[in-house]
Amino acid sequence: MSPLTAPPPLLARELRKDYPMNGETVHALRGVSLRVDAGDYVAIAGPSGSGKSTLLQLLGGIDIPSGGDVEVLGTRLDTLSDRDLTRLRLTRLGFIFQRFHLLPVLTAGENVELPMAEAGVPRGERRARARDLLAYVGLAHRVDHRATQLSGGEMQRVAIARSLANHPVVLLADEPTGELDVATGHEILQLFRRLNADGTTLVVVTHDDRLAAEAGRVVHMLDGVIRD
Amino acid sequence: MRGVAWGLRSLLRQPLRTALSLAGIAVAAAMLLDMVMLSGGIDKSFTDLLLGRGFQMRLTPKGTLPFDTEATMAGASGIVAALRRDPAVAAAGAVLGTSLYGATADSTVTLFGYGIEPEAQSLYQVTSGSDLVPGDTSGVVLSEPAARLLHAALGDTVTLLGRLDPQVVTAAVGRRLIVRGMVRWLYDYRGQPSVGTVLPVMQRLARRNAEDRASIILVKAREDGQIPMLAESLRARFPQVEVNSVADLAAHFRERLVYFRQLSYILGSMSLIVAVLLIATLLTITVNERLGEIATLRAIGVSRGTVVGQVLAEGTALTVVGATLGILLGLVTAEYLDAILTSFPGLPAAFSFFVPRAGTLGFAALVLLVTGSLAGLYPAWLASRTPIAATLRAEAT
Repeated sequence: MSPLTAPPPLLARELRKDYPMNGETVHALRGVSLRVDAGDYVAIAGPSGSGKSTLLQLLGGIDIPSGGDVEVLGTRLDTLSDRDLTRLRLTRLGFIFQRFHLLPVLTAGENVELPMAEAGVPRGERRARARDLLAYVGLAHRVDHRATQLSGGEMQRVAIARSLANHPVVLLADEPTGELDVATGHEILQLFRRLNADGTTLVVVTHDDRLAAEAGRVVHMLDGVIRD
Repeated sequence: MRGVAWGLRSLLRQPLRTALSLAGIAVAAAMLLDMVMLSGGIDKSFTDLLLGRGFQMRLTPKGTLPFDTEATMAGASGIVAALRRDPAVAAAGAVLGTSLYGATADSTVTLFGYGIEPEAQSLYQVTSGSDLVPGDTSGVVLSEPAARLLHAALGDTVTLLGRLDPQVVTAAVGRRLIVRGMVRWLYDYRGQPSVGTVLPVMQRLARRNAEDRASIILVKAREDGQIPMLAESLRARFPQVEVNSVADLAAHFRERLVYFRQLSYILGSMSLIVAVLLIATLLTITVNERLGEIATLRAIGVSRGTVVGQVLAEGTALTVVGATLGILLGLVTAEYLDAILTSFPGLPAAFSFFVPRAGTLGFAALVLLVTGSLAGLYPAWLASRTPIAATLRAEAT
C-alpha cells in the first residue's frame, strides 16, 4: 500500500456519545468526524464540558461510542474484542493523562518499562529503551527514582516516555499541562514540539491557549460538536 | 517488575495498615497451625509413646485399658511364659503398678512403684547408673522426683514400704534396696515420684505375690504385619484378659479425645475464615483506593489478566509473609499451650498435644496459601471490571 493510499492513523466518523445522568440523557458528542494523518499535531480545544476529553477517549478506544465509528490505521475499533482492543491500545496508541498516573511503587525506569513488559519485550531490550526514552525527555539521571520522588513536571515527562514505549502511531494527551505551573508546562510544550518534529503524531486535548497555538491544527469544540 | 515483588511493594504504600493486617493474618495462621497440630498431634504423640520401645501389644485385666484402673490379673508368670513360647512373639514381660511408700529419716513419702521384668520392659529409659537385671531382688531404679523425695543417690540404700495400716501408719511389708540407676519413666505425669524393682519384689511389697498378679503384660511381635492376627490368637487363648494392639489403644484414645479434634477443626476453620476475610478486606480497600491507577493501566493497554494477576500477587504476598510469621508464632504458642495441657494430672509428661511435623506445617501452609490467594479473587475481579473511561473522568474532576 503506497503512502498515498495508506489509512490514516486516526479516523473518526459521526461520533456520538450519550450519558445517562439523573434520569436524563446527556449528549456529550453529537456527530463528530475527525481525520488525523501521520505527522499531524492536532489540538482539540474548547471549554469544560464541550466533549473534547470524551472525543479523545473514543479515539483511544477506552470508551465505546453511542454511534459512529473510529478507525486506527484502518482497523475499526468496534470490530475488536476487548482483548484485541487492549492490545491495540498497548501497541498502537500512547496515552498521556492530566494527572500522570504513574505507579508510585515503581521507579521512573520501571514505569516506562511497564507497557513494554506487557507487550513481551525482552528485559534487556526494554531496560535499554526505557533509559533511552528517559534520556529523550531529559530524565536520564532519574531512572532509578521512585515516581513519588519526582516533581510534577518530571512525572509528566516520565508519563510521556511511558507513552512512547511501544512505538505508538499516535500520542493522545488529555490536558497534559493541566496540573503543572506555567514554567513546567512550557517545558512539556517544548517536548511535544520536539516529538512532533521527530515524526510523532499528536492529538492533544487542552484549554491551554499556548499549547493549542503550538499545534499544526486546532479543532475547536462546543456543546459536543466541532465548531471549526 | 511484576508478580509478588510488585505486590509486596504495593502493600508497602500503607505500611502501618499492611503491618496490622499481617499481624492479624499471622495470629489467624498461628491458630490454624496450632489446631492442625492439635488435631493430629494427640494420635501421633500417643502412638509414638506406646511404640517407643517397640512393644506393639498390651494385655490388661478384662474390660480395662492399661493403668486405667487398679485392677490386676492373676497368673501373670504363666501367661508371660506361654507368650514367650509363641513363635510370633519376640518378647513379653509383665508389669505391676501399685502405690507404695518410702521411708526417709523423719517421714514417710508416697511413691508409685513399678514391678518390671528387666528382660522385657518398655516403661523407662536409664538416665544414669545401671539398669536392673533379671533376678536383682536387692536393686531399685528411681525417677528424679522420687530420688529427691527420698534424698537418695546412686548406690544409696532406700527403704520401700508396702501397704500401711491406716490405724497405726505402720507398714505391713518393708524392703531395703540399693539404688542402681536413675531413670525416666515414659508414662509418668510431670513430677511423679516413681520407683522400679523386679516384679517379684514389687508383688511382695503390694502383697500380690500369692496370686502372681500384674497390671499389664507387654508383648513385642516379631513382625508388625502379624499384629492383627496375633491379637486375635491371643484373645482366643487368654479370654480372661483384654488384648489390645497399639492401634487398638490409639483408637480407644482417639474416641476419648474426640472433642479435642472437633474443637481443633472448628477453631482451625474459624481462623482460616478470619485470615481469608482479612486478606479480602484489605485487598478490596486497596483496589478501591487505586481505581484511577488501575483504569490508567487498562487505558495504556495492560490486560485484565495482568491486573487480576497483580491483585492476586498482593494476596499471595500477604499470605506468604503472614503465614511465615504465623508459623513461627504458632510454634511458640504450641509449646506454651503444650506445657499447660501436659501439666494436667494423670497425663504422661512425655505426651504432647501439639506435635510439629513437616507434613503438618506443610499442610497448614498450603491451605493458607491456597485460601489466602483465593481471597484475592473478588478484589481482583473488581479491579478487572473497572470502567476505564468513567473512572478516568471521575479522577479528572
